[in-house]
Amino acid sequence: MTLLKIEDLNKSFKALHILKDVNIEIKKGERHVIIGPNGAGKTTLFNCIYGTLPLSSGKVYLAGDRIDHIPSFKRTEKGMGRTFQKNNLFEELTVEENVRLAIMGKKKYRLNMIKPMQNYTDLAAECRRLLEEWEMIDRRAVLVKELSYGEQRLLEIILSLSTNPEIILLDEPTSGMSPTETSRFVKLIKKIPESITLVIIEHDMEVVFSLANKITVLHHGTAMMTASPEEIRGNQMIQEIYFGGGALSHD
Amino acid sequence: MKKAFLSTGLLLITILILPLFISPFLVYLSTEILVFAIFAMSLGLIMGFGGMPSLGHCALFGLGAYTVAILSEYTANIYLLLGAAILISLCFSIVTGYIAIRNKGVFFLMITLAFTQVLFLITSRMKFWGGNDGYSASVTANFGFGEITSNMGLFYMMGFFFVLSYFLLKLFVNAPAGKVLKGMMENEGRMIALGYNPKTYKMIAYLIAGSMAGLAGGLYIYKTQFVSPALFSVHMGAEVMIMVFIGGLGTVFGPALGAGAFVFLQNYISTMTDRWPLILGLLFIAIVLLKRGGILHLIQFVTTFGLKLFKPSRSRNAPVDKQVKGKEQAS
Repeated sequence: MTLLKIEDLNKSFKALHILKDVNIEIKKGERHVIIGPNGAGKTTLFNCIYGTLPLSSGKVYLAGDRIDHIPSFKRTEKGMGRTFQKNNLFEELTVEENVRLAIMGKKKYRLNMIKPMQNYTDLAAECRRLLEEWEMIDRRAVLVKELSYGEQRLLEIILSLSTNPEIILLDEPTSGMSPTETSRFVKLIKKIPESITLVIIEHDMEVVFSLANKITVLHHGTAMMTASPEEIRGNQMIQEIYFGGGALSHD
Repeated sequence: MKKAFLSTGLLLITILILPLFISPFLVYLSTEILVFAIFAMSLGLIMGFGGMPSLGHCALFGLGAYTVAILSEYTANIYLLLGAAILISLCFSIVTGYIAIRNKGVFFLMITLAFTQVLFLITSRMKFWGGNDGYSASVTANFGFGEITSNMGLFYMMGFFFVLSYFLLKLFVNAPAGKVLKGMMENEGRMIALGYNPKTYKMIAYLIAGSMAGLAGGLYIYKTQFVSPALFSVHMGAEVMIMVFIGGLGTVFGPALGAGAFVFLQNYISTMTDRWPLILGLLFIAIVLLKRGGILHLIQFVTTFGLKLFKPSRSRNAPVDKQVKGKEQAS
């Protein structure tokens, strides 16, 4: 079943044509990785899917509903979550407060103006469950700005998970991490249940091939090819434009 | 919740017993301070919790004042008058807020200022209601249990509304809507990604602040018995902003302290020298240079520093604990 469908998406900033007729279909449960050299338009594509940037033309469907004209926060309500390339958290709040704020986004009482936030027991319980699941419970009272970089990256994912999404857009989840941190982090991403579809932008090829079951190659704003990891590995043209030829031959 | 009740209780007791210890002149002055405290706290909400610096907040204060002054010709019922003041400023907030919250930072500042300037021009041309010279009204507060004419009575009346406003604001900032507003100020992009509509929360805060400023304006008339277009001047808008800054941005009670300090300085130092704005200006510069902290932050800093002095052993042990932990993890 197709969950996310991108149809003839175009995005240009004045004369600069960033994305040209991009067509991608993402099926439910897929781990769909988008790769491409710097400046290929990967993050712009995410911003267009999520509505941070308006499209120049084209259509985006989520579970059959057209979503390209609705504001971003409504896309979150419809089950789309995202993380950011650079950590984008509430630095002055604790881990727990961050997660509570995130969970509350889908609660009816988020507009309540009288009852103090810490008195909502369901919120506290849900927050605890999520933090325990992701092994962050010991760090719950720490201010986010005092967390390590890797922990902040993890919190990014926890926050996007706490809105109960059907699909998450992960923008370079392992960027800026050391190799050890990266491999630990990949294991954590693999823990995300199959019911949640992942669309991932990634540069690290090891990460790409250990996570992906579908890969789209974006080159100069066009979706060159969407195929399984094996096909991508074997494709001569892709190797030349992206890997500089023969980069993966040792595999 | 407990904390909000506790601090409100403390504030209430302070207000109740304060007139026993201070001179009649200070009681008279405190009446003005309390009105401006409500006004400054309302601006403090949108500035310190919503990130919306409004130079036109005095428009709502002035509208409340004009409403009570003009309507007092027709009725003396204080519930009706204050209700009307709140309603009119609420309506004005809905219209201006709808336009203003689409902008951020300096643009928000300029748009709110523009609305205020419009009101300034209208009121200074309103010949029927005094125009540039202002408009005198004789209003006496009567809540149904006797007329309030003494300074002491007025003090308690303003004190009641001040404590009420404080309590409501305190509830709001700790409730979900308030927390979301604060989150919005810190990181709007992330809040949108979490499914919150930024405009809803900003608008709610703007309307609360607007009606509270209107109430303060309405109360102001019971003290001064006089309104003039000066209420809509840039000067007024800047003054209340300075109150918020010197009191402590990002706190509920800070702006009230700022209002106190401001009115106090204005009245006391002006008896000594005509150059009192200079002293206020220096104070303001010092606070801006120290970044974000006002009087309230200074008090908090002093108390935490004092506590550290009394518990030296704990602070010395802390780094050792960390070292041990670090070694354990390393091994």
